[in-house]
Amino acid sequence: MTVTNIPATPGAAAPRDGARPPGGKSAAGGRPSGERARAARGRLANAFGVVLVIALLAGIWEGYKALGQALGDRIPLIGLGFPVSTDDLSMPHLSSIIGALGEPASSGDSVSLGMYLVGETTVTLREALYGLTAGALLGLALAVLFLHVAPVSRGLMPWLVASQTVPLVAIAPMIVIWAGKADAPAWIAVAAIAAYLAFFPVTINTLRGLKSPPATQLEFMRSVGAGRRQTLLWLRLPAALPFLFAGLRLAATASVVGAIVGELSAGTGRGIGRSILTFAYYYSNGPEKLYAAVLIAALTGIVFVQALAVAERLALRNRPTR
Amino acid sequence: MGEPAIISVRDVHKVFNGHTDRAVTALQDINLDIGPGEFVSLLGPSGCGKSTLLRVLADLTSPSQGEVTVNGKTPRAARADRDYGMVFQQAGLFDWRSVQRNVELPLQVAGAPKDQRRAKALEMLELVRLGEFAKHFPWQLSGGMQQRVAIARALSADPSILFMDEPLGALDEMNRERLQGELLRIWTDVRTTVVFVTHSISEAVFLSSRVVVMSARPGRIAASIDVDLPYPRVAETRTTPEFFAKVKEVRQVLHAAESEQAPA
Repeated sequence: MTVTNIPATPGAAAPRDGARPPGGKSAAGGRPSGERARAARGRLANAFGVVLVIALLAGIWEGYKALGQALGDRIPLIGLGFPVSTDDLSMPHLSSIIGALGEPASSGDSVSLGMYLVGETTVTLREALYGLTAGALLGLALAVLFLHVAPVSRGLMPWLVASQTVPLVAIAPMIVIWAGKADAPAWIAVAAIAAYLAFFPVTINTLRGLKSPPATQLEFMRSVGAGRRQTLLWLRLPAALPFLFAGLRLAATASVVGAIVGELSAGTGRGIGRSILTFAYYYSNGPEKLYAAVLIAALTGIVFVQALAVAERLALRNRPTR
Repeated sequence: MGEPAIISVRDVHKVFNGHTDRAVTALQDINLDIGPGEFVSLLGPSGCGKSTLLRVLADLTSPSQGEVTVNGKTPRAARADRDYGMVFQQAGLFDWRSVQRNVELPLQVAGAPKDQRRAKALEMLELVRLGEFAKHFPWQLSGGMQQRVAIARALSADPSILFMDEPLGALDEMNRERLQGELLRIWTDVRTTVVFVTHSISEAVFLSSRVVVMSARPGRIAASIDVDLPYPRVAETRTTPEFFAKVKEVRQVLHAAESEQAPA
């Protein structure tokens, strides 16, 4: 369950001599049971690691706060102030952040803050998913285009790189204005901003993947009279699949960021980005609400990437383990 | 050869970097006829152009000059018609396809219906004695088994010619000798013409009905030696005086060709 561990390039699938004995059991194509047990142990260790990291972060937060409170936010002897003051306004207790999730979203409301944020999150996730889908399709199409038409690749690539270095906050309002002029609903603008961030890692990684088959495999396809289309379909695209997923993971996080920033610019009434903006505005009334919203937004990204990891594991289940 | 040649090479030259001052002549004055059903080895030191010659026959590269016909056609047409199958030094199987679906690939390119592909692939896997591994994935097999799958794959579209580019070069000695025996058995079964590139003298003599000896810089054909040892050849064949005599003869020709043009 690693979220941070995003491989940029999967290991090259070179043939290994006698690397693996044929499945010891009679089950055709099944992996040896020892390997499965090892995989299960690995997953358990990963889950333990995640819990450990969460506990550690919580400990640091509360420890720092307790220390600041005890010392009056000043380092003794030197007399320097703490970089972040530890009063409840700047750093609410974790318990009050979690607690806020159970309280009404606004006074007199019947919906709890947690339910409200989850509702807003699904709006954002939907926008991000549309953006990711559009971005992935565009990214894949560009990669195939770049592979087959070298001049286009040379001419267009610098512009693509440039497009990703322009700050999103500058691009987002423009997309919103164009969408408004075209009478498109606001969520289209938000999805477009998400797609704008999502396509690039897909293009770069997929292009590498399409070029990854060794000469022997390409020459074999040639030797059986396969054309470009067949070589693309049966060799290059399947070979690119692990690279595509590496790109999609990066694109998934980028599309959530894009959707949140897009919501801020687009003035949509809903979404987790909108919630963050609202709670930031009323920060002094309830600082824990902003932290709760940020927490939910972070969890959203994790859920998104994990869903993708499940899809990846399914799609690559027959590949050699890397 | 009394029969008409299935492969014919006339005055072929191949020059790399032809238009620069770093031009390298890889093949010079190559003339070669190969009859149907022959097992011909191209033997020589590295850099003698034996792989380049095979790649010219297979239309993986084109000659700078000269005429080549394969099965009475241009190499390009022969390739498009899947008149030959090819085995490389690396098995090059596709990781994401089962062994069976790897073997099906040439038929899939040819547009054969699914059940026909399947039946043919299983037949070919039986031929290389890997029938029970049809549902395995290539990375679950040893290097020698992978190379046998590559042979099954090369033969699945029923080619009349088999091109093999140092197919056993990556294997250890034990596996190598075992697979040489397997290869002869398969060849006796399917009766295709085989052109086999190797730098091993004993391998060439054991397998071939004819050894074409090449010399390096520029790559030329130095001699063509018939190997009249009777088939079927088995492990014991390697220990017969006739086998040793043939190996000695080929080695002498090979060394003579080398010293002839070696600069002092």
